[in-house]
Amino acid sequence: MKLMAVDAAASKAGLAPGQNLSDARALVPDLEVREADRNAFEHVFADFADWHSNASPIVSVLTDVAAYGDLVLDITGVAHLFGGEEKMLEHLVGRLSRLGFTVSGAIADTVGAAWALSHFQPGIIAPDKQRDALADLPVVALRLSDEQVAGLNQMGLKRIGQLYGRPRKALQARFGLSLLLRLDQALGEIEEKITPRIPLAEHFAEQRLAEPIGYLDDVLMMARDLAVRLALRLEAEQIGAQSFHLFLYRVDHKVITLSINAARATRDPAHIAQLFVHRSERLVGEYDAGFGIDMIRLAASSLSPMASTQIGAFETDDGARDLDRLYDRMSNRLGAAALMRSKFVNTHIPERAIKLEPVVARTEDDPEAAPDQTLVRPLRLLPNPEAIEVIAEVPDGPPMRMTWRRIGYRVAKASGPERIDAEWWRSGQNLATILPPQKRGDPRDDEKADKKAKQLPKKPEHVSKLTAFDPMQVTRDYYVIEDDGGRRFWVFRLGLFGTTEAPRWFMHGFFA
Amino acid sequence: MRGLAIADLDALRRKIAALEKRPVLAEGAAVAAQRPGRPVAANDTRPRVEELLAIPPGVLHEVFVDEQRNGTAGLGFALGLARGLIGGGRQAILYLQLAEQAQEMGVPYALGLQRFGIDPDKLILARTNSLTELLWAMEEAVACRAVAGVIADIHGHPKALDFTASRRLSLRSSAGGSSVFLIRYGREREASAAKLRWRIEPELSAGQPFDPQAPGPPRYLVEIEKRRLAGKTARAETMRLTLDWTENGFVPAEDGSRTGQSYAAPAPRPVVAALGDRYAQAG
Repeated sequence: MKLMAVDAAASKAGLAPGQNLSDARALVPDLEVREADRNAFEHVFADFADWHSNASPIVSVLTDVAAYGDLVLDITGVAHLFGGEEKMLEHLVGRLSRLGFTVSGAIADTVGAAWALSHFQPGIIAPDKQRDALADLPVVALRLSDEQVAGLNQMGLKRIGQLYGRPRKALQARFGLSLLLRLDQALGEIEEKITPRIPLAEHFAEQRLAEPIGYLDDVLMMARDLAVRLALRLEAEQIGAQSFHLFLYRVDHKVITLSINAARATRDPAHIAQLFVHRSERLVGEYDAGFGIDMIRLAASSLSPMASTQIGAFETDDGARDLDRLYDRMSNRLGAAALMRSKFVNTHIPERAIKLEPVVARTEDDPEAAPDQTLVRPLRLLPNPEAIEVIAEVPDGPPMRMTWRRIGYRVAKASGPERIDAEWWRSGQNLATILPPQKRGDPRDDEKADKKAKQLPKKPEHVSKLTAFDPMQVTRDYYVIEDDGGRRFWVFRLGLFGTTEAPRWFMHGFFA
Repeated sequence: MRGLAIADLDALRRKIAALEKRPVLAEGAAVAAQRPGRPVAANDTRPRVEELLAIPPGVLHEVFVDEQRNGTAGLGFALGLARGLIGGGRQAILYLQLAEQAQEMGVPYALGLQRFGIDPDKLILARTNSLTELLWAMEEAVACRAVAGVIADIHGHPKALDFTASRRLSLRSSAGGSSVFLIRYGREREASAAKLRWRIEPELSAGQPFDPQAPGPPRYLVEIEKRRLAGKTARAETMRLTLDWTENGFVPAEDGSRTGQSYAAPAPRPVVAALGDRYAQAG
């Protein structure tokens, strides 16, 4: 176990991150140690990173070196908003230090150079000057592994500058490609991409607040204003959006995100604002403005072209619009999974033939999945078939008596069976992939072997241990039965007599 | 004269069907069900079924079933009534259910809906976590002018659905013009602002024409316990009807049909269409 981080008092006592815990205990016997919860760290740090999207839209966390990450902002074209790069760096770092964090930051052309600088010599490198600026820094600053650093040091290559003129082939052979990659990345010869944590929104409207606000009502009012501004922008470009995200930046470095989805592209500010009101009603417990919110951003995503139309004049009134609005309102209040439509799936297994999908996330219908309308199917289906006890006149005949949910039923009428087999294309599938290729020998022998194989498929030893998919086991015989009270049920017998040890009966649906 | 001709035609159709041992043609049966010369007892003053079931939109219905296991009969009846409300700008039926009751009651099944005669694309399922949410969703849906009907499964006698709540629903429903069907369970009745209260009980069906042992078209015993529609007075006594659900909607079950002697129930239209020529050989 090693130390991951130490506080001021500990470092004064001579402890440093990376030290063994036992060594540290030897130095400071009454050391207070907590086990690092990497997950929690990462979460907190990610929150932290998200919040910085109020400074620049592209925010990322580099997790390859540090324990919980390094915060990277792409500030291309942003710095002037803060009055220059120096002021921006000062502003961001200063704000964090005032909150009691130890921060060091740097600005450079490349991610690698900025990382090196921020860890070893905080400051700003002028454009295209990273080569000189990095020359005096230790090789660790290139984000290398411990072995690579040790190897380099052993060879006397301690500063980055010493690597500049070295033959690349030799370096690659000794230290791997990653050394060259890191070097090139730091110097800007290879572009390093960062993955933004928050998807980049090209269309957004934001408002910075001089005085932080806290009440949800105020926030929703702001959202309405932003929606109007965003709508103007979307209209100018003739687009509409299906998803809208409201980012609330708290003073104390947290971001609250509210997202809504609309069933069809829209840019109607009143509708958007209404959806956020409904969404917020689902939130009451989670909403915590902390010390207040000082910036709000409304971003649009899932964009699609939407011509500007004159509302009301030439619209066909087929109600589809009203329905979509209704679904939007309900889905955002109750959750997208609360409002479902049925979608046909191309299979004959009853419970899989229908997929419920959220109305607001409608997908294309599969033209091949159109169902056979002659099939007798119940009005309601049980999501999971329930086991029932059945007495039948003959083993594979329709039921005569049935016990379901502890109530006995006498069957007055029955029809069936309708046999529903397992999907044949899945039968034996898991075996086919494992079977080794057949050996080619005498063609006549082959024929014989083929015949034999058909009669009794011979399995290699390792296959016999696997449970083969046996379609006989899951063949169902469905019956429509009616009890003496007129209740109609859809029941099935799982498995066949003779091949299955004990076929069981299940209740699967109800007819009207 | 014309009535007589239709009756003759119908008789001929039956005769031919009997010779060919296959079902009477669907339109023949439909005409037979509605023909003016239907033998009606002279003292029969009961209102016609068509009149009783022709209910204007924008009405709050309560559909009671005695037991939970009869629930699907209630749903079938409500869907049957709601189907007639679809049309024009009103293209959706909303079915609401508490999420926790999905396994208890089953979930409306699109293939079955299709078989029943409801376009599955028109039925939207809403599953809420609490009754308050369900009531909210119901009000929201009723106010939408593109919704034909709202059907909700409500178990027990929840406090949230008191007289005030039902009055609200009823007012909203008549203002918005879409009907509400509350499927309720049990024998207790509480005060409610519903304009219509039905009690539905499944009945033993007539059986298939050529297989009396097989379940036939669904049959319901329908009791109208309360009926307060504009311009009509409430009736003191409850009315009882026995209805079959066929492709033509609800059709009064004919007497004696229990023994399987009734006219052949026409197969649902999609079946006929799908079978095509094979239908002639089906018998």
